Amino acid sequence: MKANRKQRLITVLLILATSATGSFLIIRALDSNLDFFFTPSEIFKEEIPNNKRIKVGGMVLEGSVLRDKTNISFVITDYQGSINVEFDGIVPDLFKEGSGVVVVGYLRDKTLVAEDVLAKHDENYMPPSIDIKN
Amino acid sequence: MFNFEFNSLAEAFLMQSQNGQNHGIFVWSVLIIVFVSILATFIFYKMSIKKITKKLK
Amino acid sequence: MYQVDRAYSYIFYVSLVLYLVSIFWGLFVTPEDFVQGNSYRIIYLHVPASFISQSLYIAMAIASAIFLIWKVKLSAYLVRSIAPIGAITTFIALISGSIWGIPTWGTWWVWDARIVSTLILFIMYLGLISLHDSFSNHEKADKFLSILVLVGSVNIPIIKMSVEWWSTLHQPASITISDKPAIDLVMLYPLFGSIVGFAGIVACLVILSSKLQILRRERNKSWIKNYV
Repeated sequence: MKANRKQRLITVLLILATSATGSFLIIRALDSNLDFFFTPSEIFKEEIPNNKRIKVGGMVLEGSVLRDKTNISFVITDYQGSINVEFDGIVPDLFKEGSGVVVVGYLRDKTLVAEDVLAKHDENYMPPSIDIKN
Repeated sequence: MFNFEFNSLAEAFLMQSQNGQNHGIFVWSVLIIVFVSILATFIFYKMSIKKITKKLK
Repeated sequence: MYQVDRAYSYIFYVSLVLYLVSIFWGLFVTPEDFVQGNSYRIIYLHVPASFISQSLYIAMAIASAIFLIWKVKLSAYLVRSIAPIGAITTFIALISGSIWGIPTWGTWWVWDARIVSTLILFIMYLGLISLHDSFSNHEKADKFLSILVLVGSVNIPIIKMSVEWWSTLHQPASITISDKPAIDLVMLYPLFGSIVGFAGIVACLVILSSKLQILRRERNKSWIKNYV
């Protein structure tokens, strides 16, 4: 390989390395700010002011869903911690006991008053006739 | 082996799922957006190439 | 260029048939999903576009490196020609994902890491195009563009890994190299077909785009006069 060509190859690699390190540092600095939601156990570890809008994600605890007209209350859990949620509105179709949700809302005495409930689904796809293994 | 999921065109249009929701509107609108944008891109490039070759001749 | 013209129609018809058959199969023949119902069928349109939009950027980055190291002029044309096609496929990925989110997640837009990094990819494609076109000196534009493409290539692993590194509303990948696919085989075959078919159709678009680029940039050369 010719000398100047080699030099250009090194330049290309340098560009790649610099931008990779740069973004790595930015991402490290932002860290948890890039998370879309927190888990219930993370929420109680830190003090969260009442006026801060938070997103909490986890599983809807089985048997915890109570409906009263348009009001719905349930518990979301990550099997280490859990939190009560109250919501007045329409939940997505995929909202089910035992399935994933992300709740957007405010904390009011250990209860999450939801503004919005989003359903989270996993990466598994299969026809309904096949039973879920594991 | 070759079994259609829908028995009629109307059923395929609505795409009612087991939970009773009609998902056809979402699936069909995505299909249309994809086809239209790909087709428009093809037409744009074909036309541009035609225009420039005409100019070069 | 003559060989490319001949190969073009083969690629086009084979991939068009493959794509349409796979889409038809996916939309009307495969059973519905056990969680998402029929709305999951958008996967056959969304996943190929997302996958190709990222692959095109990798192709652009490779072409940029080739241009910067070996000074191959055609490589620089390729970088500029891929950018608008990449923008179109990313646009399709974003729109189809948005519509898919309505019946499943209950929202059409969230600021989660996967979606934001894909939006950045879209903006990057648009930015690269307008940057290149703002130069009056083509040689300078090519060089600048290639360097920026290389700098931006760091976004691709970020898109890929976003669903693993951070908590996102978007689910992790269903098809990975290391693990058994998380999608049932009857659904996987048409998905695979639609990805390959879409890749072929997009390859045709890249060929057309490159042709336009070559005709524009080389219009004063004698071989172009012979060609047209």
